[in-house]
Amino acid sequence: MREVLYYAPTELTEATAILADHRDKAAVLAGGTDLLPKLNYYEVKPHALLYIGRLGLSSIHNGSSALTIGATTTTADLATHHLVQQYAPALAQAARLSGSVAIQNAATIGGNIANASPAADLVVALLALDASVRLLSHSGQRDVHLADFFLGPHLTILQPDELITQIHVPLSPGKTEFLKLGRRKGQTLAVVSVAVRLQLDGDLCHDARIVLGSMAPTPLRCRTAEHLLRGQKITTDLIHQAATQAIAESSPITDQRATAWYRKKAGEALVQRALLQALDKKEVRP
Amino acid sequence: MKQQVLTFILNGEEVAVLVTPTETLLDVLRERLQITGPKRGCDDGECGACTVLLDGEPVRSCLTLALTVEGRTVTTVEGLMVKGELDRLQKAFYERGAFQCGFCTPGMLMVAKSLLAKNPNPSRDEIRSYMAGNLCRCGSYEEIIEAIQAVAAGEY
Repeated sequence: MREVLYYAPTELTEATAILADHRDKAAVLAGGTDLLPKLNYYEVKPHALLYIGRLGLSSIHNGSSALTIGATTTTADLATHHLVQQYAPALAQAARLSGSVAIQNAATIGGNIANASPAADLVVALLALDASVRLLSHSGQRDVHLADFFLGPHLTILQPDELITQIHVPLSPGKTEFLKLGRRKGQTLAVVSVAVRLQLDGDLCHDARIVLGSMAPTPLRCRTAEHLLRGQKITTDLIHQAATQAIAESSPITDQRATAWYRKKAGEALVQRALLQALDKKEVRP
Repeated sequence: MKQQVLTFILNGEEVAVLVTPTETLLDVLRERLQITGPKRGCDDGECGACTVLLDGEPVRSCLTLALTVEGRTVTTVEGLMVKGELDRLQKAFYERGAFQCGFCTPGMLMVAKSLLAKNPNPSRDEIRSYMAGNLCRCGSYEEIIEAIQAVAAGEY
């Protein structure tokens, strides 16, 4: 049997050097909730395992214009942290609805992003909040908008020598909501999920975000639907139009969890509900 | 494959064991340390039968790479008994028949233990929600919820 090397560095420079050495032969391990099933079932056979849980990347800080969340912050921490509840309630809600308690204790925000599932709960909320990710390699770092990060199911722009170190969540004003429909209530993958953010100026909608999960090859920002709302007075009619438009922008598949037809029907109702419920939410102010 | 020494606290005692880099905590517990309380149901994180407490919080031992628990504290169902006395939850599960085959029980007990540590008096909905990641294919859910409620009510 081939040797597998295990690394658990405590310094970022060490971690990026290891990644530069092994590149795509290395598997980055954080909470393990996505990687371990693949290892257990021999779907991936890395030459090296790089455990990033000892790099001190589990923290949530409040800056002047953004929350900075370390990549190995767990979903359980996101669900309960007061800064996330205060400034990014949709993210806290997405975290609360993701997986079981035992999964939430292990699964990390960086892992949810890197795994790039079309159904990634945290990503759907993060896209509605205009989040970006910081990518570090031995040769430098770059910040990338999350909206530009995903290429397809489990495909991203992340290079083999790059590590996600931080997530920046702008202190975005507005009313938000995250809703998820699954086959059951607890521990479930999304049949469809929705995150919305409405930035209101009196009666008028100044800006909007509508993001769908499990409805396209990647979590999807419905830009035309968002545009419908911009500068308009929000009415029930307009909400129905925006929901119809959002679904028109989606391209769901039929799989073991639902048919494409059902996803569209349920998705439209879920977008409507998310927009209506967001209007009743407390406004987040930076 | 080359083995490395893994040292951690298991049920209150420090253990050192040789492991390979791809072994999970569940592999090491069951096959190297003969701690067979945690069960291998799905090896995929779905069923909850392998749940253990890591530094007091429930995690899936099948999704935890063994080497990552270096220096940390692991509690399995074997660690619930104190001085030969069953834990209150164990007594309640036993007396109220909160299982049929018992395969899910070690995982159920560990998650219930964590729930009551955080929330000594959970509502029925809070119990259902917290336990949602542990499946019982015999369908003993009602008895499991009742057993946890009985412990919370001080009946054990």
